[in-house]
Amino acid sequence: MALDGGVEWQSYALQDFVMFGPQVFLRLFERINQDLWPWTLLAVFAALALPLLLSHQRSASRRVGLFLLACAWGTSGFAFLVSYFGPINWPAVWFGWAFVAQAVLVGFLAVKLSADSLPRLPYSAATLWVIAVVGLPWLTVELSGEWRALALFGLAPGTTVAAGVLVSALFTGLARWLYLVIPVFWALFSAATYWGLQLKVLLIFPVATLVLVVIAIWLSPSRAQSRD
Amino acid sequence: MSRLLDRRRFLMGLGLGGVALAQPLAFQRIAFAENTTDSPITRRIPTTGEALPAIGMGTWITFNVGGDPQLVDQRTQVLKTFFDRGGTLVDGSPMYGSAADVMGEALAELNARDRVFAATKIWTGDESETRSEATRSSRRWGVERFDLLQVHNLLGWQGHLETLKSMKANGEVRYIGITTSHGRRHREFARIMESEPLDFVQLTYNLLDREAEEELLPLAQEKRIAVIVNRPFQGGALFRRFQSERLPGWAAEAGVSNWAEYFLKYIISHPAVTCAIPATSKVEHMKENMGALYGSLPDPAQRRQMADYVRSL
Repeated sequence: MALDGGVEWQSYALQDFVMFGPQVFLRLFERINQDLWPWTLLAVFAALALPLLLSHQRSASRRVGLFLLACAWGTSGFAFLVSYFGPINWPAVWFGWAFVAQAVLVGFLAVKLSADSLPRLPYSAATLWVIAVVGLPWLTVELSGEWRALALFGLAPGTTVAAGVLVSALFTGLARWLYLVIPVFWALFSAATYWGLQLKVLLIFPVATLVLVVIAIWLSPSRAQSRD
Repeated sequence: MSRLLDRRRFLMGLGLGGVALAQPLAFQRIAFAENTTDSPITRRIPTTGEALPAIGMGTWITFNVGGDPQLVDQRTQVLKTFFDRGGTLVDGSPMYGSAADVMGEALAELNARDRVFAATKIWTGDESETRSEATRSSRRWGVERFDLLQVHNLLGWQGHLETLKSMKANGEVRYIGITTSHGRRHREFARIMESEPLDFVQLTYNLLDREAEEELLPLAQEKRIAVIVNRPFQGGALFRRFQSERLPGWAAEAGVSNWAEYFLKYIISHPAVTCAIPATSKVEHMKENMGALYGSLPDPAQRRQMADYVRSL
């Protein structure tokens, strides 16, 4: 049946919208790590330092942590999505700029939130953070067979988003929901992409993201207060 | 030694060496032709009589590799193999991401811009953008003009086709056409074929998707329109489904020595088909595909046998 414009949408499969192959996609991780080496070490350092900073007693440390997180969103958006993924998949460019906007939002919150409204990241969330940034990068290695294809936090969007959503445990109200919009949309978009590419192992990224969103909301201060 | 290498032989060798350096593709094509027993299968474009090799190359997904130098090199080798084995028609679209830029790089690297039959599509809903999109595409491919411009999946076809007709009249493009795929909008497609002066149509046709046999292919013959066939392997599904099966015993009689030739020769042996455009990212697969450009083709009885055989599997 033809709809408006005569397009028979029901005849399209998810695969019809994916215009690149799995090999090309997995090479993106390898290429960005190679091209940015040795600066990729900074990404590893940031990934491990962030939970320490965000769970630190001093609010200044937590603020530095948020600025570092803003850098991770920005780098992942501009470097990976706009510069590497964008040329083979134009919607990635939109997401890239959305990630940059997310970086601005996090930077804004780092400046704007008072010490009282910026609680410490719970240790359970910090632990999950470490598990995410250490474990998730190996998914792309497993598929490509190339250890240089590590999906590093701060560069690869999957790991950045999955770990990054845990920080929503720091925010309440509008700030939290604003912070979660892009991660949730990215999780849905990336899930469709991985399904289309038949790289089903990578579905762990969006699934982990959505599970960690729920956990972060559970751990957030407003939730904790309502439990009291 | 002096008898083995006299002055005349030395000069001849020097001359041939120069030609090989200046035109490596032409030289390799000659070398390949010497190793084959026959010439490539060609089909005439009905509106001009120009001969076109019956196997072309698609670029959907396979040439969209972005700025990856390693993969651009690999794709350049795929294109080189295609030219070496007698192919000319390469089909693209602005919709295919970076494929047009990669094609431009590969053509420049192979110095093959004058060898390619360059075909692309107009893919925009803005019907006033026809000419500017064609210009952008020609810059990306690095060609002065396209041999063939087609309206992609009938998107904004009325406006685009009017401009394309005028571009053809001005010599800005040699041939014009329309495309569809996956069997979509065949009724509207047929209506346009009946009413517009098209040189080419592009549609999906393969051993499992044979709807085109009913109306579009006979109509193309009647209207003297060349036919390019996309998705000849049904996006690779034919290999996934049949590759593990054995070819039938009579395959050699039909001029077929592997599954790629089986699928492609079935298509190009249809009298309405001008060219099939399989896409691949591997040199070995390109060699197999181009095997279908040589040897004999199945006759109508063998074609029926081929279709019956895959149905029975």
